[in-house]
Parts: sequence; C-alpha cells; structure tokens
Amino acid sequence: MANTQRWNRYRARRFTSRFFLHLVLIVLSLIMVFPLIWMVFSSFKPSLEVISTEFHLFPKTWTVRNYTKVFDELKMGRGYLNSLIVAVSVTFFVLLSATAAGYLFSKLKFKGREALFFAVLGSVMVPPQIVLIPLYLLISKFHWINSYQGLIFPFVMNAFGIFLMRQSMYGIPNDLLEAARMDGASDFRIYFSVILPLVRSSIAVLGILIFLWTWDEFLWPLVTVSDNEMKTLPLLLAHFTQAEQKFPGESLAGATLVIGPVLVVYAFFQRHFVRGLSMTGLKA
Amino acid sequence: MPTEALPLLKKRRKPLNSFILLVALIVLVYYTLVGIWPFLYNIWLTFRKTDLLTEDKWIGLSNYSYMFTDPMFWNSLLHNAYYLGVMVLVGIVTSLIFAALIYRTKGIARKIYTAMFFAPVVTSMVAVSLVWMLLYFPKIGMFAQIISALFGVSRDKLVFLQGTGSALLCIIIMDIWRDTGIRTVIFLSGMDEIPDSLYETARIDGATQLRQFFKITIPLLTPQLVFIAAVYSINAIRVYVPIYMMTGSPPGGPANSTRVLTLHMYLSAFYGQRFGYGATISMVMFVILFGLVILEIRAFQQKWEY
Repeated sequence: MANTQRWNRYRARRFTSRFFLHLVLIVLSLIMVFPLIWMVFSSFKPSLEVISTEFHLFPKTWTVRNYTKVFDELKMGRGYLNSLIVAVSVTFFVLLSATAAGYLFSKLKFKGREALFFAVLGSVMVPPQIVLIPLYLLISKFHWINSYQGLIFPFVMNAFGIFLMRQSMYGIPNDLLEAARMDGASDFRIYFSVILPLVRSSIAVLGILIFLWTWDEFLWPLVTVSDNEMKTLPLLLAHFTQAEQKFPGESLAGATLVIGPVLVVYAFFQRHFVRGLSMTGLKA
Repeated sequence: MPTEALPLLKKRRKPLNSFILLVALIVLVYYTLVGIWPFLYNIWLTFRKTDLLTEDKWIGLSNYSYMFTDPMFWNSLLHNAYYLGVMVLVGIVTSLIFAALIYRTKGIARKIYTAMFFAPVVTSMVAVSLVWMLLYFPKIGMFAQIISALFGVSRDKLVFLQGTGSALLCIIIMDIWRDTGIRTVIFLSGMDEIPDSLYETARIDGATQLRQFFKITIPLLTPQLVFIAAVYSINAIRVYVPIYMMTGSPPGGPANSTRVLTLHMYLSAFYGQRFGYGATISMVMFVILFGLVILEIRAFQQKWEY
C-alpha cells in the first residue's frame, strides 16, 4: 500500500516535471519561429497595417498586392532566375571538383600531392572577402563584371568541400579500387562508377550547404553587379533598406519569396540540412 | 624476354595517369588564380595608393601608418571584438541550455523541437535582416510593443537600430537567434555521446542534476565548445551582411556605431576609391582570421576523431 502511494507520488512528480519541460520548450520553439511566422502573415497585409500600434498577427484585410508589386516593380522573377542559375551552377561545379579532388587527395598517389593539398587548405585561410579587391580586378580583366561567369567563377571550387570529400573517401576500402583496376577500369571510370555512388550522402550534404551559401551570397554580387537585369535575390532585397522611403509590406513579401522555397525543401530533407550545417557552422 | 618485361615494369613505376594530371592541373591553376595570386596581389596593393583608374603609385608603409592613426579603424575593430564577445558567450550559454532541455525529450517531440529550433538556420541572412529590421521598428514596431507591454518601458525609449548604444547589440541578438539551431544540434549530439553510466554513477553518489551538468556534461563537451567558439569567432570577424542590411544608407550607422572591419574595408575601397587602404584593412582581418582558422581546424580534426 505504502509502496503504491510512493509510486504514485513519484509518477505525479515525474509528470509535472515533464509537463513544465514541454511547456518551456514549446514556448521557446514558438519564439524561435515567431519572426518567420510574422513575416509570412504580415506579407499579406497592406503596408500601413504591417507597422501599426495595435498588435495582430493575422491580416485584417488580406492582400496579394505586395507580391504583385515585387514581381512587377522589382523584377523579382528575373532575380529568381539569376539566383537559380548562379546557385545551381556553383553547386554543380563544386560537387564535381570536390569529389574529383577528394578522390585525388585520398586515394591516388603522385609527387607533390601533399604540397598541392596544403595549398588548397591554405585557401581556407583566405576567405573571398579578404581578397575582394584583387578578385574584383581579376574579374574585370576578364570582362566578367555584370555577368553570370563573374558571379560563378570565384566559387566553383571549395576547399572545405575538397576536405570533406577527402575525409569521407578515406573510408572506402582500397581492395575495391584495386579490384576495379584489375578489371581494367581507368581512374575516370572508377571515379564515376565506384567512388561517386559510395559518397552519395556526403554529396547530398555538401550540395545543400553550397546551394544555401550561394543563394545567400551578398558581398560578391554587390561589388560585381550593377546592372538591374543581373541582380540576384539578395541584392534586390537590399534595395528596400537603401531606399529613403520604406516599403514594409513589399519587403516582407520579398523576404518570404527568398526564404519560402528553402524552408519547403528543408521540411523534406531536414536530416541532411541539419547534418551539413551543424558540421561547419560557417557562413558563406 | 627482357625487352618484353621492360615496358610492363615501366608502366608500373609511372602511375601518373590522365585523371591525376587533369584534376591536379585544374586544382593548381584555379587556386593560383583565385587564391594565391589575389593574396599576393593584395599584399602588393597595401603599399600603393590607387583608385584603379587614374592614380597608382608606391607609397611604402603609409597605408599602415595611416591605419594605426585612423580612429575609424580602431572603432571598427572594437565593434568586431564586441560582436565576438557577445556572440560567443551569449550564443554558447543559450544553446547549452536549450540543448540540455531538448536532451530530456524523446522520439517525435524531440524531432519537432529540433526542427523548429533549426528552421531559422536555413533562412537567408539578407531576408531575415529585412524582417528583423521591421520587427525592430522604433517606438511602434512589434518588439517595441512587446517589450513595453512586458516590462513597462516607455515606448519612446525603444529606438533599437536607431540608437547609437543599442544598434549593434540588436544586430547581434538577431545573429544569435538565427544560428541557435546549429549550436544546439552540435551540443545535443555531443550530449548523446556521453555514456549513461557516467550519470548513473554520479546519481548513486548523490550528485544533483545541476552538479552532474557542470561536472560531467560540460567537461565532456569541450571539443564542441572549442569548435563553436572558434567558428563563431571567425563569423564575428567576417560579419557584414546583417549590418549592411539593417543600418540603412550609408551602412554602419547610426553615427558609425555599427561599422565593422569588412564594412570599413568595403566603404574605403569601393566608396572612397582608396583600394590600397582597403587592401591594408583586409590584411589585418587576414592575420586575425589566420589564428582563428588554425584553432578551428584543430577542433575540427578533434571532432572527426571522436
């Protein structure tokens, strides 16, 4: 009898502590996503209603005028196209170069391998913004200002990507490669049909990282693009902060359009996002 | 017979094939072009006064001596140091608490909490800066309303980004919010690796939960703590996007209270047409980052060995 009572008391205490734990966590998670939820709902408000003295999360009058305005006046459609072209190309080239160089540095032996790898690692020490001015000169020498080439070229190889791929290829047994070589496969063949399929998950992780970094890249487009037709989404959004007059509704519609697609993809591939981003913690 | 064996032997001793040659060459050329050359050129630029068009002359160490007497440079450096300190300290403490809370949950609830904490991480920095700028709208914005309702502060005092004393802090808070998920997940995975038996033993010895946290959890999270401290120090030195976005035109205001090194470099070079001086500032950033990156690589390797 006494035992059951004690057991019940233990269960009750356990229940209350669980209850408070979840209560705190629910409140915290809501605080975390609040700015995003506010952004989405407020983007459907008329501008005057976004900043108003009375608090209400949901729009009193729903409107899509903010969205039509950013597409008509800010050329958001063109911005999407530019951002997509740049982000997809950069991601493709980085994956190709990082896997090839990763294979080179992890499994193939040649003279000067360590020295070359050291040089690649050295470039981690020199983030693009340190060499912003010389890179700008280089791209203008190539006449690539205001062009996709100019936006893409400085990012097509990524030292972190090479490092990551090299690391994940170390685990591949050498016997497997030796067997393929015995069968007469060239290194190109081994790279495509043996190595690449084995590092699929690292490719997914790196691909997501690079896409996000490029999608959000700001300083480089800022200095190399002045033509409105070539502006990427972040540059178009920057218009709102530089303008004398503020456009709250339009800003939020623009922000929702930039963040929205990524959040949708995140909802489906959450595991890969979390793994990749928490591995580096680094921003572009 | 020997003449037949010879080519075979030769082939074995010459492993340089077309794949190695091609990839190594591309890597070498590319990194020379966008890594090594720009870096050396940047050093060369620091000894010059140039607007890249009409003027280009050797001025020796003048850029450096100017920099050391430039109050705006010291100001920017101080802002970076402040950013680093608040970002790393507050960022680590909050994420540790959040991770410790989520650690106690299981199954689907844990997945949902993690997903919600992580959602801001995948957002675009440029876009969320814009959103927070509106949330921080002085006096009548969302945050002004909430804070004045909760703490009874007069709304007229809540100017956030428009106050010289509060602007930088407001930006750091936004930055901490955005990456809370990353740090929490890193700590969480570190906590998952700590064997239960350690806590078991401590419980038998009568250690309280708080004591367990400080005596077992924190010390065993050292690799993660070092890694996060290094990574966010680097981010704090390189920061510019949220500041550029949230402080209007020209960026770095009000009254230069949010100007940081990258902005000082960018404004000196691309606004002031003093590219030599801009390059000099970026060399200072390089020296600081160099030390931090070495720290980070060490922490990263430690994490891999784990």
